Amino acid sequence: MQTQKINHKSLYYPPGGILMWIVIFLELITFGMALIAMVFYSKDEPVIFHNSRLLLNSTFGAINTVFLITSGFFMAKSVESYKENNTTKTSLYLKLTMLGGVLFLILKSIEYYGKIGAGLTIGYNIFFSFYWMLTLFHVIHVIVGLVILISIFYGIKKGKNSTNIEDFEAGAAFWHMCDLIWLLLFPIIYLIF
Amino acid sequence: MKNSKFLGVWIALIVLTVISALVSNSSLYYASSIIIILAVVKFIGISFYFMELKKAHIFWKASVLFYLVLFSIIIISFL
Repeated sequence: MQTQKINHKSLYYPPGGILMWIVIFLELITFGMALIAMVFYSKDEPVIFHNSRLLLNSTFGAINTVFLITSGFFMAKSVESYKENNTTKTSLYLKLTMLGGVLFLILKSIEYYGKIGAGLTIGYNIFFSFYWMLTLFHVIHVIVGLVILISIFYGIKKGKNSTNIEDFEAGAAFWHMCDLIWLLLFPIIYLIF
Repeated sequence: MKNSKFLGVWIALIVLTVISALVSNSSLYYASSIIIILAVVKFIGISFYFMELKKAHIFWKASVLFYLVLFSIIIISFL
């Protein structure tokens, strides 16, 4: 079976492309600074942060972590299949990747619905200000990632020449970035306080 | 990468997630630091294997590791 190869050992061609990695680092720095600020403020009001953290459903957070990790696994499999020119498997794994993202958004919506119903909105206290800003900003990334994956999916369905491997890897890198950000958000917001 | 390696990484990431949840419910003194370290390990698993950063130039690998070390040191020092 013929395979497609890019020299990722070159400084200018990391998997997903140099521009995507610049975006990834900017996002990681932005979320990282906000999380550091959250932990810093928790020193001033440890009781509020602890009691507020207990109002979150950490089981939902853990299940969402599993959804995103599994989705990332299928994304990696999809890229692998695409490099081997196996369009059928690529499409199947891409659908499973998107399913993981959709399940994440459904569970997040249920969580948000409960929080709004209980009056735990963005102005409730400083913990929930951080909670809403960080998780909503992440949800926006997941939605954008899904749009990119849908676009890639229809590109593949149209025919092999409409989507090249660099574009596919860039879309995959964006999707994995959503996993990476969540891996930082989940322990700090849901577990440590 | 062989199929089994992606699967192996996925299983490891799920196991680490379960361990993080268990540690958070425990009364361990260093529970918060352990949870952050586990998150860093999962981050490396996704970036180096699923994103194939393992195959990239040393600059990208070093940059990710530098970010993670800096982030985790700052967070753990505030805990």
